[in-house]
Amino acid sequence: MNSTVTNDLSLFYLISSASLPVQLVMLLLLVASFFSWWFIFRKLFAIRQATRQTDEFENAFWRGADLNALYQHAAGGRETVGSMERIFEAGFREFTKHQPGVEAGIIMDSTRGAMRAVYQREMDKLESHLPFLATVGSVSPYIGLFGTVWGIMNAFRELSNIAQATIAHVAPGIAEALIATAMGLFAAIPAVIAYNRYASETSQLATRFESFIDEVANVLQRRIAQPRNPAGHL
Amino acid sequence: MQTAIQPDNHHAEPGKVRAALFALLIHLVFFGLLIFGLNWKNEAPEATIVELWQNFAETEPIKTTQPIKPTPPTPPVVQKPEPKVEPKPQPVESKSPRQPAITTAEPSPPLRKPAISLKAIKEKPAPKQTAEKPPEPVKKTVPETPSDKDIPQKPVEKKIANTQATEQKKQQEQERLALKAKQAQILDEIAKYKAMIQAKIRSRIVMPPDLPGNPVVEFRVILLPGGDVLSVDLRRSSGFTVFDDAVERAVHLARPLPLPPDPAFFREFRDFSLTVYYRE
Repeated sequence: MNSTVTNDLSLFYLISSASLPVQLVMLLLLVASFFSWWFIFRKLFAIRQATRQTDEFENAFWRGADLNALYQHAAGGRETVGSMERIFEAGFREFTKHQPGVEAGIIMDSTRGAMRAVYQREMDKLESHLPFLATVGSVSPYIGLFGTVWGIMNAFRELSNIAQATIAHVAPGIAEALIATAMGLFAAIPAVIAYNRYASETSQLATRFESFIDEVANVLQRRIAQPRNPAGHL
Repeated sequence: MQTAIQPDNHHAEPGKVRAALFALLIHLVFFGLLIFGLNWKNEAPEATIVELWQNFAETEPIKTTQPIKPTPPTPPVVQKPEPKVEPKPQPVESKSPRQPAITTAEPSPPLRKPAISLKAIKEKPAPKQTAEKPPEPVKKTVPETPSDKDIPQKPVEKKIANTQATEQKKQQEQERLALKAKQAQILDEIAKYKAMIQAKIRSRIVMPPDLPGNPVVEFRVILLPGGDVLSVDLRRSSGFTVFDDAVERAVHLARPLPLPPDPAFFREFRDFSLTVYYRE
């Protein structure tokens, strides 16, 4: 019957005195939070780089550069090459592989198909890890809530043995349980924000790539129609 | 085709390590915020407890010194060290340079008093003794001044001086009596409230029926300033756990226990032993 009021409520004490399920929940949330932040930063860098490279290549393309030169740069360059450049490279390679006598429709179909394939692969790469962010964003609050409910359940169960219950008896248990919710929210909020932002940015890039594919196809089709343009200018 | 894509895959993910470092940094910041946020909240109640004890210690000496001295009540605390130090420099003035250190060392003990409440109870007689000392130098100085005068002057003034001295002695005796009366009053007050506490607890006991003999149980009760019960520990069991439990429950039911309105008396009630007989 020691109803001491003084309790050490430091964070480490609370975490170490929590029950095993709550500790597991906290660990899980910590890992999820760490990975989601890791992916947030990785995606941030990756998407920023992809946007920059796309801007650069689009500028170079529409400034009227030589298609052959662009292709040489894309295919031969050991340096980093953007997604759009890779799409163009695949299409142009497919286009030049065909013998001159082949029908224009078949050439365009295969060119378009090659560009589509690379486009799908690039989009896959850009959208990778986004489902993880979505999962963390939607599930981690529930995991945190589960830890909290479990902790509060235990706090109240321990209370049943005490005749005179004061708030001091429940407070540590609830505080320790609420840490789980805090961690869940800490993991979820940035993940949701990042997911929404990156999803919109990748979809913007996707529309740019798709319209670029159509435009490249048009340009190549014009080349078939006017074969006397050996330099490859637009 | 594959040879062209392979090197690109290597370049696909820029700054993986950098991202991991950033993620780590964010978590460290988050936990730092959590830790410091919680620590601040922890220290706040401790600070208020310390303030309470200081208040008790300050009010206590003032009350005991008040009846003794008609002079302003607060100065005695400052004056105490001075009469003790003054006699020293008169015979040994040449060694003076190190004495300021002693004077600073002497006033420090009264400052330490408020730290621990239990010690404060033991020291209770101490302020009375020190408080009674200051009048003595006053006694010496007051009779000395008339004695200096009466050498050249008439014997009538001797009588006046004598009567003044006796009056002062009478006054001091009266003050001592008043002090004793006051102490008795304080004791009465304490006894009264102890009886009230006993009665209140007694009224809450649901006595278990049919215990043989007259068992006695003793508890150690620690109170909070409001009269709330901090802890009840069994010191000596009666041999009947039913009876022990009944009394312990009664102590908790009786909260808040009646305490004297003057917070200075609280130290008498902070930690006391409660003895309860089965039959009165």
